[in-house]
Amino acid sequence: MRLTLKNGVLKRVSVSFLISLLSTAALAQAHIDAPVNDENSVNSIVLNAEKAAYYAGNDGKSLARMMIVDSQGRKQMRQFTILRKDVVDDEGIDTGDQRMLVFFSRPTEVQNTVFRVEKHTDLNTDDDRWLYLPALDLVKRIAAGDKRTSFVGSHFFYEDVSGRAIAEDSFTLIETTDTHYRLNAVPKKPESVEFTRYVVDIDKATFLPTQIDFYKHDNNYRRVEAVKVDTIQGYPTVVRSKVSDLETGGYTLMEFRNISYDVGLPDSIFSERSLRVPPQDYMD
Amino acid sequence: MFINRFSFTLLLALCLVVQSPRVLSQQESVNDSNGAASSNESVQQAQDDWGDEWGDSWEDSTVERNPLTLSGFAEIAVGNRFYNDPAINASKTLRDARIQVRADYALSASTVRFRGDLYYDGVKRGWKSQLRELAWQGSLSDLGKWGERFDLKVGQQVLTWGTGDYLFLNDLFPKDFQSFFAGRDDEYLKAPSASIKLSGYFDAFNADVVVTPSFEPDIGITGEVFSFFSPQRNDNIAPAFVVADDNTPNNEEIAVRLYGSVGQAEVALYGYKGYTKQPLSLDDTGRPRYSRMNAYGASVLMPLGAGIANAEYAYYDSVEDGNGANPLIMNTQSRYLLGYSQELYTNVTGGMQWYTEVIHDYDALISHSPFPAFEQERYRHWVTTRITYMALRQTLTVNAFLFYSPTDSDGYLKANVTYSPGDTWQLRSGINIFKGDNPNTFWGQFEDASNAYVALRYFY
Repeated sequence: MRLTLKNGVLKRVSVSFLISLLSTAALAQAHIDAPVNDENSVNSIVLNAEKAAYYAGNDGKSLARMMIVDSQGRKQMRQFTILRKDVVDDEGIDTGDQRMLVFFSRPTEVQNTVFRVEKHTDLNTDDDRWLYLPALDLVKRIAAGDKRTSFVGSHFFYEDVSGRAIAEDSFTLIETTDTHYRLNAVPKKPESVEFTRYVVDIDKATFLPTQIDFYKHDNNYRRVEAVKVDTIQGYPTVVRSKVSDLETGGYTLMEFRNISYDVGLPDSIFSERSLRVPPQDYMD
Repeated sequence: MFINRFSFTLLLALCLVVQSPRVLSQQESVNDSNGAASSNESVQQAQDDWGDEWGDSWEDSTVERNPLTLSGFAEIAVGNRFYNDPAINASKTLRDARIQVRADYALSASTVRFRGDLYYDGVKRGWKSQLRELAWQGSLSDLGKWGERFDLKVGQQVLTWGTGDYLFLNDLFPKDFQSFFAGRDDEYLKAPSASIKLSGYFDAFNADVVVTPSFEPDIGITGEVFSFFSPQRNDNIAPAFVVADDNTPNNEEIAVRLYGSVGQAEVALYGYKGYTKQPLSLDDTGRPRYSRMNAYGASVLMPLGAGIANAEYAYYDSVEDGNGANPLIMNTQSRYLLGYSQELYTNVTGGMQWYTEVIHDYDALISHSPFPAFEQERYRHWVTTRITYMALRQTLTVNAFLFYSPTDSDGYLKANVTYSPGDTWQLRSGINIFKGDNPNTFWGQFEDASNAYVALRYFY
């Protein structure tokens, strides 16, 4: 789950935790001391998250790998390094925009391929995306696409990775347990997505979503879950996650390793230069 | 007969596509340390023990542990033409048994990269090799603070810039049209060159300077695989065509690009000093040669609506024929490109381009040409469309690219299907179809080159 503010106005909260490392899992910082005063209020959950967002790490890096298993049990692997940095305005306030580089090392077919994203929180501005294809030495700008399509062939969607704007859904609190808030989310533009609603469990202690079940009417056809959470530099971080296609039995596992926050990544590395010459100093 | 043989080949390819999941799943299960037979078991195990589920360890595969990474692929590719070509009289258009080796060696702050192909070319009947990359790449930061702003890449390398899709205006790096027409992977459209590339990164803009000490021409249509139109014969010919050494310059080429961003738009200026990349000019005895050419251009690429729009211009200055009156030398040209691409539906992307070549001093060209009837039109327009469809979680990709010229009344359809069910096997099949109302136009001359192919690749 991710939240950012601009001029005090809630612009975007995404319930994606897949790359929560990349998208300021820090909002879930354990020392959030403000209790949720009104546990029946979605707004208060959001406001607490907002408060936590100010403590977010400014950047992060990690190794990641995915195992994609299709309905027949066939496996594919992806391994990559991710660098991400939050964009701040002149006053040093997090704008919610993010810069991201994904360097693929496996499989052979995509080795040395680099994916670059300039993520914009403004709902009217599409993210800028580039792909570097080393065999052709080609930097290809990619047209904005349906964000609910496969991310590099996995069961994760691009939107699971980049984050879905909370402004796109209407939330209601279904229940509160000892450990979790359970929210129901209904898309404001149902024609733009394949689901009719989703149910998300948010850990009360960390504010990390631990499970999201997507429904087409009553059919729960897709699940995204946090399998393992570690605390890294004080930030609870999802280090293993899983997305399942409940209709076919296919699923994708994702695991992070060598995570570090507040690395001090310079702005300059988020550029075309790094596509051709990866910044090795920051990738170990 | 050729068509029949081809239908069979395509049918075979289709069978492979249909059959392969089972075959490949057996292949994959070898890597499965759990020997998981059913997906349900796999799911269960995934929750029980991630370490086992992954099979292999991170350490084996992470780049920083081992400075040397080795990989590559082996490929078999077969293609035949649809029609008989009387100038060649052989149906084979592609017969590759190929192995590519890639090796990257990471030094402390730089990299040495190697990519080499060794293959038996059954059409040309011989072993071939291509050194696609052997280059050192690193920053100049060791030379001082100023050096942090510069990267250098020295050696054999593939280079690309510009905004076109299969259309190159300011990209005057070598290309291999023979591979392109025969259905080799897109990678082979770009041929390597031995070059020095210096890149500078500054606050307002970035700059690339590429020096290729010895001119590297395109790999054009030579007649060994595909025939081409000869105005002298008024027919297609297929000589094993080589430009004489004394007609091939070994002087340097210099290419420059200045580029930067303005908001979300990317703008660039280009310059080139060298030679025509194809032997479009003739010497006094009528033998083909490369003539001096300089080029200047600009491009812009930006988001527009739901997609990406691009525009590019290039001016090809034919230095040796300033007024266009020399019939042996290519005339000066202007080239224009407008393009747009966007996602049309989920997993379906469409692109469109309008491309125009304008020949300068056209009246002088026609009045001095020995074959005015076969000269290119003053304005040659091309429209291109591309449709890309991805399915089955991107393991299946269908691509159709059409070049169509309303002025030449000809076109070229390049379509293919790529299926990669796992990380190791890839099946690719496609067609290259050329059509034209006249035998002398750019695409029309290749009608008999129309072909279909199948390729099977194994990545290691």
